Amino acid sequence: MIGALARTPAALRNFGNSQLATLIGILIAAFGIVLTIQHVLQHDASFFFQILTIGIADGAIYALIALGYTMVYGIIELINFAHGDVFTLGAFISLALFPVFGIAEGASGFSYVLPLLAVGLITMALCAVVNVAIERVAYRPLRHAPRLAPLITAIGMSSILEGAMYLWKGPFNLHYPDLLPLTRLNIGAVSIGVKDLIVLTLAIVLVVAFTLFINLSKLGKAMRATAQDRDAAQLMGIDINRTIAATFFIGAVLAGAGGITYGLYINSVAFDLGFITGLIAFTAAVFGGIGNIPGAAIGGLLIGMVRAFSDSYFDSSWTEIVIFGILIATLVFRPTGLLGMRVPEK
Amino acid sequence: MVRARGLAVLISATFVAFACGGTTGGSGSKGEIDIASSLPVSGADASSGLPTQQGAQFAVTRAATVRGFTLKFVPYDDAVNGVHDAQKGVQNVQAMLSNSKVLGMVGPFNSGVAKAEIPVANQAPLALISPSNTNECLTQSLDYCQAANGFTPSSLRPSGKNNYFRVAAPDTFQGPAMADFAIKAGPPPAGLGITKVAVWDDEETFGQGVAKNFAKEFTAKGGTVVDTKSYDPKAKKDFKDFLASAKSKGAQGIYVGGTSATGGCIARGQMAGVFSPDIFYLGPDGIGDAQCLKDSGSMATSNMFATQGVADATQNPDAKAIVDAYSAAYPGSSNLGAYTFAGYDCAALIIDAIGRAIDANGGNMPTRQQVIDALAKTTNYKGLTGVITFDPNGDPTHPTLQLQQVKSNSWVFVAQFQQGA
Repeated sequence: MIGALARTPAALRNFGNSQLATLIGILIAAFGIVLTIQHVLQHDASFFFQILTIGIADGAIYALIALGYTMVYGIIELINFAHGDVFTLGAFISLALFPVFGIAEGASGFSYVLPLLAVGLITMALCAVVNVAIERVAYRPLRHAPRLAPLITAIGMSSILEGAMYLWKGPFNLHYPDLLPLTRLNIGAVSIGVKDLIVLTLAIVLVVAFTLFINLSKLGKAMRATAQDRDAAQLMGIDINRTIAATFFIGAVLAGAGGITYGLYINSVAFDLGFITGLIAFTAAVFGGIGNIPGAAIGGLLIGMVRAFSDSYFDSSWTEIVIFGILIATLVFRPTGLLGMRVPEK
Repeated sequence: MVRARGLAVLISATFVAFACGGTTGGSGSKGEIDIASSLPVSGADASSGLPTQQGAQFAVTRAATVRGFTLKFVPYDDAVNGVHDAQKGVQNVQAMLSNSKVLGMVGPFNSGVAKAEIPVANQAPLALISPSNTNECLTQSLDYCQAANGFTPSSLRPSGKNNYFRVAAPDTFQGPAMADFAIKAGPPPAGLGITKVAVWDDEETFGQGVAKNFAKEFTAKGGTVVDTKSYDPKAKKDFKDFLASAKSKGAQGIYVGGTSATGGCIARGQMAGVFSPDIFYLGPDGIGDAQCLKDSGSMATSNMFATQGVADATQNPDAKAIVDAYSAAYPGSSNLGAYTFAGYDCAALIIDAIGRAIDANGGNMPTRQQVIDALAKTTNYKGLTGVITFDPNGDPTHPTLQLQQVKSNSWVFVAQFQQGA
């Protein structure tokens, strides 16, 4: 009898740690979904598809940034807070390169495709160089320091990048040229902007390509090996420093591409854009399961949609509460995220 | 460039002050009186704050002395990281209070800063006169003030006496003036003749105030507000969902309760492709600047209208000599803001009040309270932006509003209307 009493709390505690938490999480999610469906039904279908496209396009951009967070976390368990600012840097660099390549707002057409591609490649390369330099200067010397130390240098690097962009272009909102076609596709009653479709295609192609690259290429294998066990990987002849640098390189390439895509989509950038965008992308990475690459992609898309639906079907003042509520709920009820933390199994 | 020139004038003004000070031993100055300003003059807000500061500075430099006292202009910047900041404004006021020569302050520029500065200045007390504050709850005790803004005129004035004045028309005028214009049959400048408008604001005291007053008047006149949203400008720069919603609900125009510094015209830029370029975009004085036109991109068309809470001094023939002299001292369009001559009038009103206070005090240096009392008694003062009389709340009794429109990528005067008492 006494033994049974003594055992019960232990059983309850175990239950509370796993099933109960999942149950509560599922209930909260279900409540949100039911509430959303109820609101969606009050509006017409055409509006729903427009919002869905906007949500996916926004979400695809978040996914591009979230990949960088998750890759870096996966390999050195560091939240690279400067990543959001590398994303902003991508937008700033491309903005500065447009005049060099003769790209200006107005006559958007196919003649812009090649120069735009060139701007994109240079921007991604420059962002990658900056991010690798950040890793070399601020993170590599601290690789064996307590985990708080690189986190603090990460926040410092974020402030330095923001300050540099502030000095470069000032505090103003900068207009980013509107180069994508403004035509709209009308499918029945549903009207969807070609611009939205281009943005979401671009982002999704990049996300899928890099996910495949990491899963199939030799470098990708080295990255995953380093993430699983750094010492063992080194014993197998993998150059740890080069692999980690490559991770930062690829993450920044995606962030740079994200910066350009964001600029082309939103048409306005500012020096402090990376802070909040980075936080939302970080939420997406945690939501999908930090360290998990497909998880970051799915998390990004879902957070983008949550944001678009919250903004348009509910009061927009609630959006940030909802998004960061998801961050907290994920950490409390399912710390491994939707798809689980696949990489760092130690 | 702009700032360098302002500095040059400031230095020359200081030289004048020193020159006068030097003659104290003879028959000259009875002492120095400082007129301070606290305006956002760096960063995103500088495009409207700096020309205003220069207007005030020009008035002080022009007057040079009052009743034998030497005047000195002491400018403060209330922007932090390029955006106006209430805490910085309070620090500025505290710095002024510690300087007994400061008898009045021109500013603040933003209503959100005013609500923090007024209580601090009120306890001293120091006269504040704002060229551009338009939030009605700063001066008027309306039933929704506490709920909507978290303050009332009396909660901002712990001493129970008023020390705050302004020359701009409160939001109770600015929002409704645009609503009347929007609904009246067109073409401009008579009106726009539209009945369905979507409204968004930037979650700031000012933005929400004008947006609410616009919506109220527009509905009262028979129009429909089809959609309303509030956005935190720091977190949200994507207005596509709001625009999609506005379009699906048949909006013929968008009214923005916001400023360029809070991204008021980014939404206009994103309207490309969603709406045709002839869709109307309406807003308060906060969007009536060059930054707005940059953010609007290809959508900076002539279907953008903004109200300004002050009259256009260049439309006033009596003001021409001073306006021309200012333009000679500060050439170029970037030195000419919507509130430049309101800034001039604010400084001139303080100087006028100080003069009367000195007279009442037997030619001696007046106290700050005596300056406030003299300012409150201002009657039919012929300023550049209108004839100014203050009501007991510190508001102008007959404010003049102007309407501006975008033409070939700049804001131009369309019409102005004096409001009834």
